[in-house]
Amino acid sequence: MKYLSAFSCAMLLLAGHAFAAPDAHSILQLSDRARGGGLPGIVWEIELTSRDGGKVDEPQRLLVKAVDDASVAETLEPTRFKGSKLLQVGRNMWLTRPGLSKPIPISPRQRMSGQASNGDIAATNYAKDYEASMVQQEAVEGEACHVLDLKAKHNRATYDKVRYWVSVRREVAVKAEFYSVSGKLLKTALFDYGNTIEYDGKRIPFVSKMTIRDALIDAETVMEFGTVKVKKVAASEFDLGQLQ
Amino acid sequence: MTSGDANPSLPYLVKGGSLVSCVASGGGRGGILLRLLFCLALPALASADESAWRTAWDGALYAYAGSTALQENSVLNPGNQFAKLAQRSESAEARFNLKLESEALRVSARPIVYYQQMHHSSGKTYSHESYLSQWQARWRMAESWSLSGGRELLNWGPAQFRSPSNPFYFDNGRSNPMRELSGLDALRLAWSPAVSGNLYLARITGSGHGHAVPDPWANTWLLKTDWRGEEAAIGLALAQTGKRPAFFGAHAQQTLGEAWLLYGELGSSTRPDALMSPADASLPFVIERESARRSSGLAGAAYTLEDGQNLAAEYLHYGHGYTAGEGRAYFARAATASAGLPSGNSIPTLVQALTAAPPLLGRDYLHLVWQSSPMESSGYARVMLTHNLTDGGNELSAYGEYSVNPHWSLFAVGMAAGGGAQREAARLLDHMITLGAKLSLP
Repeated sequence: MKYLSAFSCAMLLLAGHAFAAPDAHSILQLSDRARGGGLPGIVWEIELTSRDGGKVDEPQRLLVKAVDDASVAETLEPTRFKGSKLLQVGRNMWLTRPGLSKPIPISPRQRMSGQASNGDIAATNYAKDYEASMVQQEAVEGEACHVLDLKAKHNRATYDKVRYWVSVRREVAVKAEFYSVSGKLLKTALFDYGNTIEYDGKRIPFVSKMTIRDALIDAETVMEFGTVKVKKVAASEFDLGQLQ
Repeated sequence: MTSGDANPSLPYLVKGGSLVSCVASGGGRGGILLRLLFCLALPALASADESAWRTAWDGALYAYAGSTALQENSVLNPGNQFAKLAQRSESAEARFNLKLESEALRVSARPIVYYQQMHHSSGKTYSHESYLSQWQARWRMAESWSLSGGRELLNWGPAQFRSPSNPFYFDNGRSNPMRELSGLDALRLAWSPAVSGNLYLARITGSGHGHAVPDPWANTWLLKTDWRGEEAAIGLALAQTGKRPAFFGAHAQQTLGEAWLLYGELGSSTRPDALMSPADASLPFVIERESARRSSGLAGAAYTLEDGQNLAAEYLHYGHGYTAGEGRAYFARAATASAGLPSGNSIPTLVQALTAAPPLLGRDYLHLVWQSSPMESSGYARVMLTHNLTDGGNELSAYGEYSVNPHWSLFAVGMAAGGGAQREAARLLDHMITLGAKLSLP
């Protein structure tokens, strides 16, 4: 009888575990996949348009190849920068252009365009870079979302703190708020998932648009992601010696 | 197509004797190597799915005019008799990028067509040339291996002023900012097992377009490796030209926080046909067939402001440069020779001083740079101040580019040298300015 009671308790505990709500880290990991994280490699085209007050910047079109924390973004438009490449490996960054004598190293503070950080054009690996904790559930435009607080695990992360809304049903991030170390809101982002990729025999919704708004000034950057391909990207694509 | 698709057809090519006949049709050393690469890549071309091929091109047309104020009191180039520098020039240049690629094979070329009209005190001269500044055929043999041949820029390192870790491009293109660097003729086998590192072995068969005679790099092996971590990157280079002593080079950079970048480059080499300048000015110049081994090093730091503007400071110790005493003796000999023209040893002395001197005359330099954000699409500006710590001379230079619309840009380059005719910066030129326009295609 004693053994039966112990067995029953163990089964109840197991059952409880099996039906528990997913933990914050797993939610984050799943949501990363819809933004390129945890995939063997991804190739996509990004159209960037930025507005600062009434001033609209020239649109940019980029071809991005990314894997883990490495990416190379080649400028397709505007014409006068065609062939320019931005290589990121970890927090190392280099910029090269046709005719330039060699790739020049640049610091992470240099930004692609408007409100977009360089990290925004690469594959998102928040599960690797942030410690996630579940805050609550909240609806975003009528859709139930887990609200996660993300805290950077190291100073190499693009942002110090992020509040992240992940759809309960679709398992994709729909909204983000980015904060400084002091807790000041820097910018907000909204995500659309009009793309679909096939991976591991499944069709997964994939990010098609990211709208980033500055919280301090009237400025906005829209990134539209098209022709998304999941494919292994050879390490030589990130080789500085073969970049030009 | 994948590299795995390409390999099976290779034995057929070899069995049929095509590989032998293909290579045998080559010309010189470099020709054979490049033809071998072409033959090896042929199966990839032959079996490629045509729909997988991508082509791209773009180009830029330049028109610019320059005015140069020569150093009136130059002791190295009295009356502009030796360097024969133009006081005014008008240039037109077309630069194109052509690319054809599949998953396994990539062929690219950068042809340049150049025309220049130069105005000297004695009249006008013209020059024009059409050449391949760079080209490359690269075959990805396997996931981590690639073989490439062509005319490639084998340039590396984070330094802006000079690149002591590189035996081929120490100058970094600084001596003529309007002309772009041309590649070296090379065959390269590269191994890239991971994003964090790679290694390549290159056989350099020539110095590419416009090389000196004899060609200084015609018979060179290069071994280069790079490692990239989360916030740091390191590279090592070893080059061997014929039976000359080897060149050793190293470069490293470290990203600190969001805004700081620390970096350095080192090199150890000898110089062929090196002009030695004894500190005793009564002694003549000596040309050493191979100089003693010297080491050079550059340390730099760059800081990026919130708006993307960048400040950088670099210190260079150049081991092959002259000490202050040797530098004074260099100019004293040139002054004596200049005063003695046209008799005696004056002409050979001045020719030696101009052509066999080290690429930098001084031992120690400080180079300061301000530049606008290189990511900014509407324009770009850069101001550089170089202070020669050995002779006290200065050079101030600036570049500015403004985008009028998506296709048209205007640009300006300027330089002013200070310190007098017997200091390195102002030994030939006093100041120069170039204004131009660029049309981007298509």
